[in-house]
Amino acid sequence: MSAAYLLRRLAAILIVLLIVSLTVFSITQILPGNAAVMILGEYATPAQLQALELKLGLDQPWYIQYWRWFSGMLSGDWGVSMRLSQPVAALIGEAFWRSAALALASLATVTLIAIPLGILAALKRGTIVDLVIGLFAYVGTAVPEFVTATLLLVFLAGPDRGFLPAGGFAPLSEGIGAALSHVVLPAATLSLILTAHIARQVRSEMSDVLSSDYIRAARLKGLSERSVVLRHALRNAMAPAVAVISLDIGYLLGGILVVEEVFAWPGLGRLIIYALQNRDLPVIQAATLVLAFTYALSNLVSDIVIARLDPRVRYA
Amino acid sequence: MTQNTAIASARPDARPALEARAYSLAYETPGGLVQALKSIDISIPRGKTLGLVGESGSGKTSLAWAIMRYLPRNARELGGDLLLAGESLRATSKSQIADIRGARIGMVFQDPSTSLNPTLTLGEQLAETLIRHRKMSKAQAFSEGEALLARTGITRPAAMMKRYPHEASGGEKQRVVIATAFACDPECILFDEPTTALDTITSRQILDIFQTLQEDTGVAALYISHDLALVSRIAHDVAVIHRGEIVERGATATLFRNPQHDYTRALIAAAPRPDIRLSGPAPDIAAPTVLATQDLTVRYGGRSLLQKLMGRGEAAVEGARKIDIDVREGEILGIVGESGSGKSTIARAIAGIADFNGTISFDDHVVQERSAISRSYRRAAQIIFQNPDASLNPRQRVGEIIARPLKLYGLARGSGIEARVAELLAQVRLPADFAGRYPHQLSGGEKQRVAIARAFAARPKLVICDEITSSLDVSVQAAVARLLVDLQAESKASCLFITHDLNLVRQLAHRIAVVYRGDLVDLFEAADFDAQKRHPYTRALLEAMPPPIHP
Amino acid sequence: MRELLRHPTGLAGAVLLAIIAVMTIFGPLIAPYDPQQFHPLSRLQGPSVAYWLGTDQFGRDILSRILTGARSTILFGLGATMAGVAAGGAIGLIAGAIGGAVDSLIMRLLDGLLAVPDLLFTLLIVTVLGGGSGHAMLAVAIAFMPGLARIARSTVLSVRTREFVLAAQARGESPAYVIACEIMPNTIAPIIVEATIRVSFAIMLGATLGFLGLGAQPPSTEWGLMIAEARQYMFRNPICVAAPGVAIALAALGFNLLGDALRDLTDPRGRR
Repeated sequence: MSAAYLLRRLAAILIVLLIVSLTVFSITQILPGNAAVMILGEYATPAQLQALELKLGLDQPWYIQYWRWFSGMLSGDWGVSMRLSQPVAALIGEAFWRSAALALASLATVTLIAIPLGILAALKRGTIVDLVIGLFAYVGTAVPEFVTATLLLVFLAGPDRGFLPAGGFAPLSEGIGAALSHVVLPAATLSLILTAHIARQVRSEMSDVLSSDYIRAARLKGLSERSVVLRHALRNAMAPAVAVISLDIGYLLGGILVVEEVFAWPGLGRLIIYALQNRDLPVIQAATLVLAFTYALSNLVSDIVIARLDPRVRYA
Repeated sequence: MTQNTAIASARPDARPALEARAYSLAYETPGGLVQALKSIDISIPRGKTLGLVGESGSGKTSLAWAIMRYLPRNARELGGDLLLAGESLRATSKSQIADIRGARIGMVFQDPSTSLNPTLTLGEQLAETLIRHRKMSKAQAFSEGEALLARTGITRPAAMMKRYPHEASGGEKQRVVIATAFACDPECILFDEPTTALDTITSRQILDIFQTLQEDTGVAALYISHDLALVSRIAHDVAVIHRGEIVERGATATLFRNPQHDYTRALIAAAPRPDIRLSGPAPDIAAPTVLATQDLTVRYGGRSLLQKLMGRGEAAVEGARKIDIDVREGEILGIVGESGSGKSTIARAIAGIADFNGTISFDDHVVQERSAISRSYRRAAQIIFQNPDASLNPRQRVGEIIARPLKLYGLARGSGIEARVAELLAQVRLPADFAGRYPHQLSGGEKQRVAIARAFAARPKLVICDEITSSLDVSVQAAVARLLVDLQAESKASCLFITHDLNLVRQLAHRIAVVYRGDLVDLFEAADFDAQKRHPYTRALLEAMPPPIHP
Repeated sequence: MRELLRHPTGLAGAVLLAIIAVMTIFGPLIAPYDPQQFHPLSRLQGPSVAYWLGTDQFGRDILSRILTGARSTILFGLGATMAGVAAGGAIGLIAGAIGGAVDSLIMRLLDGLLAVPDLLFTLLIVTVLGGGSGHAMLAVAIAFMPGLARIARSTVLSVRTREFVLAAQARGESPAYVIACEIMPNTIAPIIVEATIRVSFAIMLGATLGFLGLGAQPPSTEWGLMIAEARQYMFRNPICVAAPGVAIALAALGFNLLGDALRDLTDPRGRR
């Protein structure tokens, strides 16, 4: 892995952002409703509207508007929310870290459960253990987040069985217990579908590895089963597992929209839904770009991890 | 290893190192019990090699798995026993087997690129056997590993220990596998087609190393192969296995000189023998030239504009450099080389599926770039590929496949198409009702016949055969080669016959071109093969070839 | 087909989908009650002989609502996927067949679009188009397009280098023949497999949109919407939300199982 490679990858991320920004910008351009009307309300005078349009640059051609906005995004000037009248950067900054906490908690849970589960299923292939894990994986991938969330609420956060808070967010300053109790249900919801999916993929990768010639060769050298699995098989199955996890991060980022909405978690997902419902263009645009950037970056990180795991992968 | 040799020679020599006694094995399948091995008897004394010869599906590899006690779940042992130095392998427990594998029985596999773990260094994979069985420390194991590698002819063993499999050549990897097999001074080593994935010259080196090591250590070896000529070179005894039964066994020289069983005779007859020519006499010197290339050069890879902008992609590699060849009417020109030598590249350029520089004069066409190749050129120059599994569209019936050139070039119309397809099927000796079948319903040899029929359907003036026999079983290879020669003689077409098999090409070709790393290094009359004036590479190839079998 | 029923996963998927198909086709006919009819005296009841799955906040029969809702949920999944496959498949096929700069450019664009999570992409498009079942279906189709185009392209590329395509080029076949008769027939199986699995995603996405109020609108009995409407009362009668939730999961599971079985059966490695 060379510095040139990293630079190129970062350039590729910039291209992705460019495409995403153009897409989002054109989508928001078609949105009905004039920004000036939104800000000033329906009863503003034409003169007021015109003055604001001039100030916002709405009279300019689209590409000038786009360039202003995109260069603003790159330089940190993300505009002002139309509805909340706050700087978009501040709004997103606060929400981003709350979402990141939720996403990381889920990702950690998923990784810790799904990988051992998949490996176990592959090792016990054809047994009842494999069947049970397989069934869980199939059912798990078939339940959308809003259903999981609703059912978890009904059974774990109802008025008469209120083990856990039904929603909301508690910062660490309110104590670790409170913070954790709020994160449990949304994180569990996000984890279920991903755990199921990743466990299934890991099982299939691990099965392929276990039936490979080099595993057979290792067994025929008289190595212990422990050494065959831990030393020979695991490493070869990990690289594809990381690739799957990295692709699923895209799914996770979509999932936070629903989960934050259901559990009233004040993160990026909820902010986006709010902005969509209220046509708050600057927030929609910036938040979408932030999500796309996060995803692209996580792909880069996973590629670096894969290169560490598999000596054949060389990025030059 | 040296100090262990002393211990090894102290072992009692009376009992054979490896024995099978009336051993029978079957597999349970949904269709019932399928017998894989029927009452197998073999016996290999110390220091000797038994060659086990058979075609794919004969059960030869099943025997190796049975000896290693590595049988699939659906395997059923029906009787008999397998003995290692007189001890029953069937009676050993799982943990005893783990102590035997790699220590008392070593194994060398067919393809070193899949039998080595891609994520561990070669050194780690060699050392772990020593740590496991000879209870060495890691440091001891690595220095012993270096010594072992040095004995297999690796010049810089310390550096090789640190490499990953993908950083080593096929020959180097197979040396590591052999070093591992010999590492614990085993009584017996199983070789499962260990040179099939390697080039001729590398194969020869690997076999030489094995023979030296065997002389040094007195190991017994079971050498499994489909290649009679190769086995005749290294085995002391040979057993011929056919459909799970050993049909004939004996000392190598006797068995090949005086085969008793029909199957053995058929196998020997199928092995290419340069002294028996399959094709007719070379065409007259005055015969017109059909194909001539001038400075034919093919570059591979190269970067697209976008890749260049992104700084990615590989620089172009020359697959073939300034090749000048010519083929006369009715002539078979053999092109010989190892994998990566550029021989297929030349075929693809002439067939119009690879971009080239230089000039190709063919028939009455003179072309200097791929896009200038016309349909009438393409009709007259037909290519047959190595693997019929890949070259026949799995979604088309045999009839459609053979009829396509007829329709494309307007060679037949209406009911004439069907009649011509039937005629072509008959010419390649396939039943007419095969026209309604899909390729996956045919055997490998039958599929290759379909591909040959498709090529001759166009009534070509030149047939380009790119390794057309190398994916087939030995007995099928000979039949396909004969069929090609017959059709070629009948149609008076010229032929470019590309192969890595020197013995085969000497049976077929009138002249032979040798390519090495993209260059044409030698071109001569087939009869001139042994002459001293041959290029050093041609001589090396010839020396590396196992001697043809003379019964 | 017979092979499919012998495959355990395939059999399970086929059975589930047969049930779903009966619901989709005959649901409104076999429903015991009018799904919109209020039964004010029996609101939020548990399962009983009269109401097998109980009733919702207006006393409407949950079983009847599930049976009639199958149609909108399943047709949404099928419709969105088919539209996505048609558009994505065409783009991928063209990109893969043409290659070169056009291909690189299309792939760059698709990479960009793939960086936006499917759900967010769908929501953005629905916001532009306005809610409703038809618009939501179109939005899911558009969101699926980049992924499906990528898969179609990689399938084309893997077929394009196979020797029977080279053989056709060596014969001098026209590019149109090579694409239509040699490449296309060999790309259909993998695309059908992918599409089958995608239907389950589409069903889940459609229900999610219904749940968020951006998909099917009342009085539809689309399952996601049912859950959204019953959420306030879920603690009093959990079946209101559990029943449609299970229905969605079973439908998605059926397509998932079927797709996996088809993959096993069409994968040349799995055969023989």
